[in-house]
Amino acid sequence: MRSAPRLFVYFPLLLILCVGLSACVARLAPNYDKAIADGLVTASQQIMTHFASTSSGTAASSFAQRDATYSSIIGNLDALALQAKSRPTPKSSVGDKVNEYLAKRGITITDTGEVPSAAALEQISITLTKMRDVDKKQGVTAFEVAAFKGQVVIYLDQALTYENFLEREGN
Amino acid sequence: MATAIDISSLMEQMKSAASDVAKKDISVLKGFSDRQIKAIAQQAALVAAGIASGQITTETQEFFLDSLKTMAQSFANTLQGLAKVTIEKVWNAMVGVLWGAIGTATGIDIPAIA
Repeated sequence: MRSAPRLFVYFPLLLILCVGLSACVARLAPNYDKAIADGLVTASQQIMTHFASTSSGTAASSFAQRDATYSSIIGNLDALALQAKSRPTPKSSVGDKVNEYLAKRGITITDTGEVPSAAALEQISITLTKMRDVDKKQGVTAFEVAAFKGQVVIYLDQALTYENFLEREGN
Repeated sequence: MATAIDISSLMEQMKSAASDVAKKDISVLKGFSDRQIKAIAQQAALVAAGIASGQITTETQEFFLDSLKTMAQSFANTLQGLAKVTIEKVWNAMVGVLWGAIGTATGIDIPAIA
């Protein structure tokens, strides 16, 4: 039997590999959470409906009609950001090793430990809070609505892409 | 029954597992980057035009200008987050192949350790 001697030679090597790679299955990012992904889709619909209804610009005199909508959207966004942020973010030696490897090649990655979707959601909340405050004070022009919308769409794309990307096999 | 590991075949399987994951993920990353770069450039043009025409009022000018920088930072942060997930998937795909080969060679069912 030819395989036995080869196994005898390789077995110590395999054993060392097993021990050396004992933290092998890496987790470098938070787990996928369907509730957050679904919440993002719902929030997107709510936000886009708001932009559609204000696309011609607004007057401060009619702000009271929109106040509750702003509160509902901002409240939902803050709750989602909190959910996204409060998931445990794994710390893995694999991540450190990858960073060391890249650093040796002149690529420095600053790991803030921030969850990208949570940070993007916070920025959407900041954007809509600014829109609400300006709307209340003087109304917003149609052009400003377009600029607020453009900004929100960029952040939404970041949050949605990241959350959907977290759905790996076996999740 | 335990069998010997064919090193070159194992290397090929690991390479193939890694590149399958990388190919798929890199196309997602590229699509995301292209969309974001285009959208941020369009936003910058919109803000500039609005300020020049006075349709973006003094009340929002500074906010929109500062936001362009924050948006670009957030894009870079997201891209880094996505890359991390890809590294994780590539690593785990290779380890899966390695584990399978070791399990077959030793006859031991080695559980994946998270």
